[in-house]
Amino acid sequence: MSMKRPYQITGVVFLILAAFIAWESLELQFYSYIGPGPGFFPFWLALVLGTLAVLMILQATFRRTDPMPADFFASRAGYLRVGAIVLALTATTALMKVLGFQLTMLGIIIFLLFALGRPSLVVTLLVSVAGSFGCFYLFNRLLRVPLPTAFFGF
Amino acid sequence: MESLQLLLDGFGTALQPTYLLYALVGCTLGTLIGVLPGIGPAAGTAMLIPATVGMNPTPAIIMLAAIYYGAMYGGTITSVLINTPGEAASAITCLEGYQMARKGRGGAALAISAIGSFIGGTIATMGLVLVALPLTRFALKFGPPEFFALMLVGLSLVTGLAGRSLIRALLSAVLGLLIAQIGIDLVLGAPRFTFGQMELLDGFGIVPVVMGLFGIAEIMINAESPSQNVFTTKMTTLIPTRKDLKDSALPIARGTGVGFLLGLIPGVGAIVPTFMSYAVEKRMSKTPERFGTGMIAGVAGPETANNAYANAALIPLFTLGIPGSPTTAVMMGALMMNGVFPGPTLFQEHGHLVWTVIASLYIGNIMLLILNLPLIPMWVAILKIPYSVLSVLVLVFCVIGVYSLNNSVFDIGVTLGFGLLGYAFRKLDIPLAPLVLTMILGPLMETGLRQSLEMSQGDISILFTRPLSGTLLVIALLVIATSTFRAFSAVKGETQV
Repeated sequence: MSMKRPYQITGVVFLILAAFIAWESLELQFYSYIGPGPGFFPFWLALVLGTLAVLMILQATFRRTDPMPADFFASRAGYLRVGAIVLALTATTALMKVLGFQLTMLGIIIFLLFALGRPSLVVTLLVSVAGSFGCFYLFNRLLRVPLPTAFFGF
Repeated sequence: MESLQLLLDGFGTALQPTYLLYALVGCTLGTLIGVLPGIGPAAGTAMLIPATVGMNPTPAIIMLAAIYYGAMYGGTITSVLINTPGEAASAITCLEGYQMARKGRGGAALAISAIGSFIGGTIATMGLVLVALPLTRFALKFGPPEFFALMLVGLSLVTGLAGRSLIRALLSAVLGLLIAQIGIDLVLGAPRFTFGQMELLDGFGIVPVVMGLFGIAEIMINAESPSQNVFTTKMTTLIPTRKDLKDSALPIARGTGVGFLLGLIPGVGAIVPTFMSYAVEKRMSKTPERFGTGMIAGVAGPETANNAYANAALIPLFTLGIPGSPTTAVMMGALMMNGVFPGPTLFQEHGHLVWTVIASLYIGNIMLLILNLPLIPMWVAILKIPYSVLSVLVLVFCVIGVYSLNNSVFDIGVTLGFGLLGYAFRKLDIPLAPLVLTMILGPLMETGLRQSLEMSQGDISILFTRPLSGTLLVIALLVIATSTFRAFSAVKGETQV
């Protein structure tokens, strides 16, 4: 199997992105009395991006491409672990202001440790407490880095 | 000669045990802060300013300067060991340093970084003593046209960052330029591509972007494999070999030059010198195709440039009162808090203090070397932590570092977004360095061009008729022409997209 199809798809994605940016930049002022306006650079950059995307599609279609690396696709379990990281960071973004740093990180660390490696209970407890309450004490109390707190001072 | 006499007097004061202790504490704190992903020198120095409140100006400034360059070095450690830049300027070190660590040569990479940082920092400090004022006056000739031309030189080096495909490198570079367009237009103040989101008015911060592209993407890639044995090779040696030293000598010399010269120009920032140095090393190398596999020149050059820049950036601050980077702006604030106002009269009004601080820069550089070489085994021991636990801890530090920049959870989301982009780029073998370099250079270049055209009322010849900008443009065009020729020659016969 070669990298032909992935590069064709990537080229199409870049081409759609370029078209979108060019369209959006036309809504901005293109040129003003003092020179290029806010839309000038994005428009030309979008054209360059589009040209490169077309070149990528053409090369992938008409020339021989690299063979696909063995690890290009992960196993189902591998994708689940990657998904766990995405889910954890999404949850952190959504919950940190609501639950505060300490409770959010406590939950996230336990979840990630379980999803990525399943260490022993002692290690899980140590890492989750150090990464949540310990880090909060170090950064917020000692280094005065403002981290969010929610109910009960957590 | 008068400068040397004043410097010797400065050494007389800076070598007092109390001041040595402050420098040591500053170096240690700076290194520890620099190690934390996302918390760079600017944030680290600002964070530790309260620690100097109540001190006399001399020890306070000695300590803050030590924190500053300690943090610059500290950022390297996580870049090399876990592919997560401690600060944005160290991002480029990930490319070669991390590959060295995976081959069991993380200790050598850190040692070369420490040695290069020491040499770069010391030579830049010598420059501060000997040629500060004339060079700064020269740097002040940089108006918008010269700045645009200089940034174009930087941009022309992007082709040198290409891996196996020029098209993929250029796609990455153009995407970086487009990402830099997001936010308020700096000349007319119009919002661009913000889609009504307040958080996007300032655009994407460089720290969340590099943390995502390098750190989070690395964790995702490693999470795919069941064993997650990232460091399959045992750490062989912690000290660089004779060949390492020989291979690093010229990159260190070139890195010093790049970092020192760019440090003189206000507004360049600490990231540009490191990326430029890497591009220069790849261009100068006889085996550029081996870059990305753990070439020590790719660590030595940028790390030297990083510290040479850090020390040289103090020159416009001390002599003209112009802070050239966020960190030097924090330093300027700290100086003013202590009743010291940087500018042309600084050497007359606070001569003794300034020369003591300059002397302490020399001492601090030596101290940093002595402090960090023995600590390398301790840092490398981090890799003995099981990767599943280490990756979770890195994620926690990334979250703290990114959040602390603007107290914004939006930045955590940005980090995740760029993590996914970095993951996809790694899979597709699209290089990340061009994206980061152009994202930094893009706004500087656009502002330079638009201000130039404003100066000339739309006449583009202003870029060619001024001697300095004309020369720089010729250099940029030559670099683009030769590297494009080289790139096409290299892939001639090959068919990579």
